[in-house]
Amino acid sequence: MISAELKKTAKDLLKDGKVRLIIAYGENAAGDIVPFFVTGEALADKMVWNDRCYYNLTKYLTDKDVMAGQDGVTGIVVKLCDLKALKVLISERQVKRDRIKIIAIVCEGLKDESGRSLKKCETCPQGSPDRESCDVIIGEKSGRSAAEDSYGDIAEIDNLTATERKVFWDKYFEKCLRCYACRNICPLCYCRECVIEQHNPEWVSPAPSQTANAGFHAIRAYHLAGRCVDCGECERVCPVGIPLRKINRKMAKVVWDNFNFKPGEDTESKTPIAWYKENDPQDFIK
Amino acid sequence: MDKKLKIVGFLCNWCSYAGADLAGISRLQYPVDIRVIRVPCSGRINPLLVLKCFLEGADGVLVSGCHPGDCHYQEGNYYARRRMLLMKNMLEYFGIDSRRFHMAWVSAAEGAKWADVVGRVVDDVRAVCQTSEGTTPK
Repeated sequence: MISAELKKTAKDLLKDGKVRLIIAYGENAAGDIVPFFVTGEALADKMVWNDRCYYNLTKYLTDKDVMAGQDGVTGIVVKLCDLKALKVLISERQVKRDRIKIIAIVCEGLKDESGRSLKKCETCPQGSPDRESCDVIIGEKSGRSAAEDSYGDIAEIDNLTATERKVFWDKYFEKCLRCYACRNICPLCYCRECVIEQHNPEWVSPAPSQTANAGFHAIRAYHLAGRCVDCGECERVCPVGIPLRKINRKMAKVVWDNFNFKPGEDTESKTPIAWYKENDPQDFIK
Repeated sequence: MDKKLKIVGFLCNWCSYAGADLAGISRLQYPVDIRVIRVPCSGRINPLLVLKCFLEGADGVLVSGCHPGDCHYQEGNYYARRRMLLMKNMLEYFGIDSRRFHMAWVSAAEGAKWADVVGRVVDDVRAVCQTSEGTTPK
């Protein structure tokens, strides 16, 4: 149903020639859902939509290889969670709104391989993507209800002592391969030169070690504080299972509690460390 | 005798550094465990500098700038306040004891406050270093 409508929409957009590329989901020979680049009407029939469309495709809008030569309008298929990332990209002037066609899908929640709902979907605010920020919306308003996000997973760690927290994270960080998959998949990690790869100054050693790994994860999460929209792609692609969302969500909570700000709500807001209020909390300052 | 600590102090040129200078001129006594780094403004302090100090084995970090409204560049300390709030929360979450990172507002006239702040910071950091060996990075 959604698939058929998606294909029809894609064909309509590609027909008049203004849109020459639509970034969508497809299926590979092994049956995995993969990013799929629709460059002509003939390919539109191979587009796919189902509950395993995990990828946040907005990553490709800042990919200079994919976007090379794309001087027209590019279509992009988004879920509600991806749309938030896209709004941050627009607000940070990385994507021009008039150069993209946003095809939003009303998502009923994603399932992992065993058929269980993804953790991020359980607390997804649901509903339709807002009409004014999308060009096309496919699907009816979702009937699913979402659980209130209580940040229980964060409180569990907050309740530990400092030493226990260090032990908790070291257990994960010692496994980190420094493959940077978490950074590479993140739609908001678009810097051409990442601070992680700078050598002068060298902020953190590229060689994996307990300390350097913790440093890398701290830097990654800090650069996403107040920007991360919790699409969860970093955690999904991590080959050693580091619970990265627990870090991102902690920072999101700190930003919300202190600055009353949530990223991805609109395309105008600046990231919270680029502005201030004179009465910002300062009880931690002597 | 207590072990000598390594605490890195980032002081803005216009207020806190002058405040520390005044403490010296006034011959106030305060612990010698702090190494002062003079920066143009607290807004100049890249939060990653704080992180880097801990990664490289500092026992504590103190960031000090002008009081809100007194910044030589009008607003640098407001930005610093937001950045350091986030960094402080992140360090705590990663298991670096909250008593190891401090921020203070010290004006050029507050030599006595500077001596007091350093004393309290050193006490806090020393308390952490004595109670748990797990907090010092390897």
